[in-house]
Amino acid sequence: MYIRPIQKEDLDSLYQLAKNSGVGVTSLPDSKQKMEAKLSQAVASFNKSIPESERIYLFALVEPASQKIAGICALEASIGHEDIWYNYHVGKTVHSSREISVHKITETLYLSNDLTGCSEIATLFLMPDYRKDQNGQLLSRSRYMFLAEFQELFNEQIIAEMRGYSDDNGRSPFWDSLGKHFFHMEFSDADYLTGLGNKVFIAELMPKFPIYVPMLSPAAQASIGKVHPQTEPALAMLKSEGFEPNNYIDIFDGGPTVSVKVKNIRAVRESEIYNVTRSEEAPATDLTDKYGLLLVSNRKFDDFRVLLANKSALNGNSIVLTPEQTEQLQLNEGDTVRAVSLRP
Amino acid sequence: MYLIRPAIFSDLTGIERLLDETEARVTTLPKDRDQLSERIAESKDSFDNASDSEKPSSYLFVMENTGTGELYGTSGIDSEAGNGYPFFNYRLDKIVHASHHLNISSKVSVLFLSHELTGKTLLRSFSISPSLHDTEYFDLLSRARLMFMATQPDKFHQEIIVEIQGIFDDKGNCPFWDAVGRKFFDLDFPTVDYYCSMKSKTFMSELIPQHPVYVPLLPAEAAENIGRNHEAANRICQLLYKEGFYQSKFIDPFDGGPVLKGEIQYTQTYRNIRYKKAYPAEISNGMRYLISNRSHEDFRCVVGTLVEGIGDSVRIPPDVAEALNVEKGDSIAFSLL
Repeated sequence: MYIRPIQKEDLDSLYQLAKNSGVGVTSLPDSKQKMEAKLSQAVASFNKSIPESERIYLFALVEPASQKIAGICALEASIGHEDIWYNYHVGKTVHSSREISVHKITETLYLSNDLTGCSEIATLFLMPDYRKDQNGQLLSRSRYMFLAEFQELFNEQIIAEMRGYSDDNGRSPFWDSLGKHFFHMEFSDADYLTGLGNKVFIAELMPKFPIYVPMLSPAAQASIGKVHPQTEPALAMLKSEGFEPNNYIDIFDGGPTVSVKVKNIRAVRESEIYNVTRSEEAPATDLTDKYGLLLVSNRKFDDFRVLLANKSALNGNSIVLTPEQTEQLQLNEGDTVRAVSLRP
Repeated sequence: MYLIRPAIFSDLTGIERLLDETEARVTTLPKDRDQLSERIAESKDSFDNASDSEKPSSYLFVMENTGTGELYGTSGIDSEAGNGYPFFNYRLDKIVHASHHLNISSKVSVLFLSHELTGKTLLRSFSISPSLHDTEYFDLLSRARLMFMATQPDKFHQEIIVEIQGIFDDKGNCPFWDAVGRKFFDLDFPTVDYYCSMKSKTFMSELIPQHPVYVPLLPAEAAENIGRNHEAANRICQLLYKEGFYQSKFIDPFDGGPVLKGEIQYTQTYRNIRYKKAYPAEISNGMRYLISNRSHEDFRCVVGTLVEGIGDSVRIPPDVAEALNVEKGDSIAFSLL
């Protein structure tokens, strides 16, 4: 399996993927028209034919034999430029009176656009059949190799929005206690509209004044900054790379935002450049050896590739790769690669 | 005869007894002797220095049975709500959340903290003995204040406000308070009510939430109680509506009770005031009137029977003249009950 930039020809596969993603993965619209727009934006980003701040880099996880797309992931160069980027900032209000000995700290949600301009670890979706063999890890972490290589194209600060808590019936307590009062709409409907690209319209309907957390239902209070159970692994992966919750949450479901400086991401910091030796003798990739794997990227921009190799392939400042691997990485004579341990 | 007159220090025990026997809460009258005594002192200053003082005035009246000397009610006026400090209310307003694109428009009620009523004339401290609750003396006790304002109208802000008791139960549970203030004050309603009468109002500005409160986020019961009065206040509300008061957008920040608003010159009592020279004499029949003297310092007001007539003097019963401390030829004011 390897990672490559998305291409024009991927439209149909992408559309299938979106249909599979269901409620909660709001960044994948299931309308073909929107998908096409998203795709051409990605293609233009790799062509560098649009300004840096408008670029969204979409990557595909490809099965080499079938050339099938098993998953996608994205990096957004700068959020909140075309549309307005909203979060609630989870802040505090302190009320204090010496006269009657009361000192009370109240969590307060402030509607904010503070994260405007940050880069974002965006969409990630992996087809269910491929949720094995380190594919999720490769798909998600391959982006750090791109960031490491092209830091200047991104903001210093990078964020990821995590899907918030909702129950088995798709009900979000946070939405039910807050957003719903302003829309009279179920969470799944609002989420659907969001996926269609209406997020900013919905955001415009959200309450603009700060919200005192104790005025929300206990279930809603408990879901502030809490991720969906299915998102726990993704959160753990981001945390292992250095991402931390930053007190910003999603205005709809209360899911947390996590952030880190690009230069402090574990994979960015620890990755190194290696000379490539091509050899039939190179070790085969053992996907069962979780901690013995490397992310290897070809350092190219418009034909960016990443795959997994074994750590035993490293020898000083060289790496030995099979002809098949060099092929998948589109390496030419004398090219170098960037590599880092897949896991911290 | 029941007489309205300024409160004096010797009324202290009488007022205490009265407060014990009335059920309705009277936040503006503390059940603490020192504080109560201070209130009387402030009131006395206000009556004495009315003409030359720039300071806010705070008047306290009592209703006395002239036969027994017993007290049956209290009522008060602050010439400036807040007495020089911010006067807190929530203003109930609407915000429309609309999106043409999504074809959604929803009107959301929001409570905004407001000091707008600061400095208006405030009617307060109304308490009446239950035995007189359904009599004309209820009207006397409340409306005498408008007769008083007529003695020196320039002293008062044209707009008058009255805070009406909101909804809470016998145990002191107040749904509005529990949903809003309690989350920031950490005190139950009876306690905060007590503090309100006892402490300075500084704690109020320190603790009250400054951000607007979205009504739909409140529990249904609390939201429903916004702007609704306690049933013990039904009678006073009726009386004030008849006077020309109306329910404003403002509510009490503690219990959510309504604030009624009116304008002095458009109140029934004030508009119908006539001034004539007193002519003490027996009267066989006539109409019931509020009758007062024209003194600011020694204001007195009773209910009595008059025949209005067309001359510049009017017969008043001798006992009324005596209660009002007026003699033949003194100017009096009267307004139809």
